[in-house]
Amino acid sequence: MRPRRWPGPRGLRSRLLAAFVLVTVVAAGAAAWSGAGAAGAALVSSHRERTTGDVAVRIAEAAPQLSYPPDRESLDRLRQAVGGDTAVTFGELSSSEGLDTSLVPGGLRAAVRREHRLAAQRVTLEGRSWLLVGTPVMITAPDGSRTASGIEVYTLRDLAGVEREVAGVTRAAAATAAAALPLAALLALLAARGVLRPVRDLRDTAGRLASGDLDARSEPQGADELAELAGAVNDMAGSLQESMAAMERMQADARRFAADVSHELRTPLSTLAAVAEVLEDATGGMEGDARESARMAVSETQRLVRLVEDLMEVSRFDAGTARLHTEEVDVSAAVRDCLRLRGWSEQVRVEADGRVRARVDRRRVDVIVANLVGNALRHGAAPVRVRVRALPEEVRVTVTDSGPGLGEDVLPSVFDRFYKADAARTRSAGSGLGLAIARENARLHGGDLTAADTGAGARFDLVLPRREEER
Amino acid sequence: MRRICAAMAAVLLAGCGAGPSEVFDGGPAPTGVAPGVTLYFLDERGELTPDRRDTGRLGSISEAMALLLTGPGGSGLHTGIAEGSVERMMVTVKPGLVDLVTPLEIGEVTPAGIDQIVCTALGVHVQSGGSTDTRVRVGFVQPTPESEELRTCPLIG
Repeated sequence: MRPRRWPGPRGLRSRLLAAFVLVTVVAAGAAAWSGAGAAGAALVSSHRERTTGDVAVRIAEAAPQLSYPPDRESLDRLRQAVGGDTAVTFGELSSSEGLDTSLVPGGLRAAVRREHRLAAQRVTLEGRSWLLVGTPVMITAPDGSRTASGIEVYTLRDLAGVEREVAGVTRAAAATAAAALPLAALLALLAARGVLRPVRDLRDTAGRLASGDLDARSEPQGADELAELAGAVNDMAGSLQESMAAMERMQADARRFAADVSHELRTPLSTLAAVAEVLEDATGGMEGDARESARMAVSETQRLVRLVEDLMEVSRFDAGTARLHTEEVDVSAAVRDCLRLRGWSEQVRVEADGRVRARVDRRRVDVIVANLVGNALRHGAAPVRVRVRALPEEVRVTVTDSGPGLGEDVLPSVFDRFYKADAARTRSAGSGLGLAIARENARLHGGDLTAADTGAGARFDLVLPRREEER
Repeated sequence: MRRICAAMAAVLLAGCGAGPSEVFDGGPAPTGVAPGVTLYFLDERGELTPDRRDTGRLGSISEAMALLLTGPGGSGLHTGIAEGSVERMMVTVKPGLVDLVTPLEIGEVTPAGIDQIVCTALGVHVQSGGSTDTRVRVGFVQPTPESEELRTCPLIG
């Protein structure tokens, strides 16, 4: 069974701090406690020795002048000599002030009577601590032999003073222990910094790797586990970088291959296109089936030419060799020219905010608009509208149709190369690269091309910055 | 965790002082009461004999010396100290030593008389709680080596 996780600080720094402070509190507290206890015990015992010695001296000084066997007056004299709250007894006779002999504990009385030695005991009377000292008074023969005289003395001595001293010692010890806390906290912070700096380095390195900087490495410091971790992270980054480089190399190879292929195809194709033109002129004199075949060969050749041209355009984008030739252009006029050249002016309604000036590549804008409007006319349905809007920072050209629109499964991949929304339309006139090229052209301007479904057709938004971006 | 708690509790309890009910030994009991004082005189054969006087209390060494110098009275004992001349003596008690300064000349005291003085002084000192190993020095009026001697009582210790 796993114990419930204790709620507590989660950060490394606060955990280290808490552990250090806790250890310090326990250690300093225990040391202070035992030190104060030992000092207090020494204080109490030395006070006890002084007190009992004082009582013995007072009795010894008074005793030779006392009559023996003692009368009441002798006992009074001895009591006064001892001083304080004292009781002196001799058999039935007793003299006492401030101390009732019935309060004397049995253990102390037994020690006095049986051991014939001075004895002391701590007692609590009326909430105060006292040292109760008891002793018999002995008779010594001239040869040194001792016998009990039957006189017993009990006296109370106040312990308040020594208890105040002990409390003072305890307070001082507690204050010293408390003074160790800031030091412990400081040490904990230093230790935490030593641990946390490499951890923070590692975190930063991992963050840079995640954001694509594959050159990011951690400097392993020292030879501890954290340094090993940093080494492992560096190794991981190294192998990741290698495989990324290999992948990029393979992609570049594939693109170069496509570029080479389309380039190699162009020369024979231009010959083929010239031949096709001759063939087209000659179809007038052909019989039915032959004429049909010749026309199909001509149209397929033309399609092949367009496909290769598109492939070469895509290859230029991939290789990064596509160049913008910008000039000051009225985008509204460019759109109208594009439609007029292709004979679409009658089918398409253009809404423009007057003259919309921007620095763009006229040819590329023409390619984009032609592709969008051509798609709308081919795949969508009338009415097809083109709206040109001038916004403060950008020009927005929106092409909408009233066709079936773009399904949710189509929308994410509509700009993919050779993507065909409808498998049945594979033989359509397009190369399958038109939208991909259109978007590359928009991005080359620093703008973008996005697709959406209006619910009643498809909508394409071309956004071009009005000013040429710093590149 | 429970074991750690128990260990910490044990450590904390070990720091606590002793309880209040313990009886501490405070050393030997004081002494000094006595029914009377013991003086030393000489019997017929000239030997030291204790003679207890029932004074009702022990008294001081000076008081015992005064009684000794007064003489044996009618007890049938003798004294080796010239009688009648002096009645007082200076007594100083130092650690391990009782210093007596007599107003006597060395010729006024027999060696047994010196023992009388030493034994009586030492007896009172011991009965007051002093050690039996204490030495006694008896000083005389004239400068004499006898004055420097540290003596013990042949009957005590």
